Amino acid sequence: MGLIRILCSVATRGRYFSTLPLVLTAIANQSIRPDKLIIYDDNDEPQDLRNEPIYQHIFSMLDSKGIHWEWQYTDKKGQHHIHQRANTLGFDWVWRVDDDAIPDSNALENLMQYIDADVGAIGGSIITHQAINTIESTGLIENIDNEPHPQWGFIREPKEVQHLHCSFLYRAGVYDYNLGLSRVAHREETLFTYGLHQKGYKLLIVPNAITWHFKNPQGGIRSETNQSMYKHDEQIFRNFMTYKDHTIVILNCGMGDHIVFSHVLPFIKNPIVFSCYPEIVPGLSISDAYLNFRDLDHWNIYKKMDQWQWQDSLENAFRKLYLC
Amino acid sequence: MLIIAPYAQKLRNGKENAKNYPYWAEVIKGINDDIVQVGITGEIPLVDDCRFNLSINELRTLINDCTTWISVDSMFQHLAWDCNKKGIVLFSQSDPAIFGHDSNINLLKNKLYLRQNQFLWWEDVDAIEDSYFEPDKIIKHIDQFY
Repeated sequence: MGLIRILCSVATRGRYFSTLPLVLTAIANQSIRPDKLIIYDDNDEPQDLRNEPIYQHIFSMLDSKGIHWEWQYTDKKGQHHIHQRANTLGFDWVWRVDDDAIPDSNALENLMQYIDADVGAIGGSIITHQAINTIESTGLIENIDNEPHPQWGFIREPKEVQHLHCSFLYRAGVYDYNLGLSRVAHREETLFTYGLHQKGYKLLIVPNAITWHFKNPQGGIRSETNQSMYKHDEQIFRNFMTYKDHTIVILNCGMGDHIVFSHVLPFIKNPIVFSCYPEIVPGLSISDAYLNFRDLDHWNIYKKMDQWQWQDSLENAFRKLYLC
Repeated sequence: MLIIAPYAQKLRNGKENAKNYPYWAEVIKGINDDIVQVGITGEIPLVDDCRFNLSINELRTLINDCTTWISVDSMFQHLAWDCNKKGIVLFSQSDPAIFGHDSNINLLKNKLYLRQNQFLWWEDVDAIEDSYFEPDKIIKHIDQFY
């Protein structure tokens, strides 16, 4: 595994006795082990499974194979909150696996082969029943409404795309999940991976890393049926797409911070600015930013500096946030 | 003319901001120049010439006209830096390596007083009496501008 530390995260809900045991078994049988496995339990009625025979076997298998695992009960806010928790745990990469997605035993190993300094995330084929023909699929965000995702077919050769789907391996701590989405977290992985792409990292789809997506109709992290949640999340996604060719800048901070930021602004590619003090940094209002994106923490320079344990200048923190 | 910006932003809980310097009277006594105090309505006047609620452009004009300035760690120090006017910043618990500018004279008494997390709200931070730079030492730094 070298110096790269990989966390495998599994968010689960309503699938204790259906697909989750299959997923955990598949993770245990990987040809390369992750450094840690965390199962995030988002069930409405969480259980202690240590006395369940099937889980006793699974936990023993994980232990025997030297996979450090942990079971965390989460707060039922949706899988985006879970993924963000995994994203910020301090691992180098996170392999996120859905609780009804069964990876082949070489999936992680083959995804890892494409880890490189300029790569932000790597996905393999995500097959439900049978692969579909995705040869024509571009994987460009602008075509998201008009083509099947290229991961839904067998991938023959590595290819760069702009967004990934379902389960994939990603560089941790670079981009935040949007916590303004509703509990169903519709479009969460699209927003997240496109954000990595906007940060300048390559997103790759690669061959020989197949995950079988059972799409279990029972349970699941998205088992909400309230359509207003999907509508709410879709609107956030569409708002992001409105500004997809821009660097979104949100200055929800003090006057002095705006002044310091103004020295970074000239270097930002095609910025669209939302500002508290337009007399210092002209832009749209912060209420506009909130209405568009809901979760503004991604642009909170103080939260970022805290997260980065920052010791350099405020100006360089802005550079890291918007230029790196 | 020398500008003083004695107060940091008012806190939402009404508490005194720990960034505020407590010995302005002694510092002012040692300044041999006309002093203009800038800030906002409600702040305690420390000199006769107080100019409150100036716009950013008015502040820029004033900064460009001054010999130098002294400020706590507030918006003012960033604005003066933006105007390329060198001055003195009085730090206590915030870290000049993060919030200061190299072109200024950043006075920090002791790194031991820096608050552990530099990025949280100031509402919960108590002033530390011993964390502030001594007035006579500040005067010596002012003298180099004249």
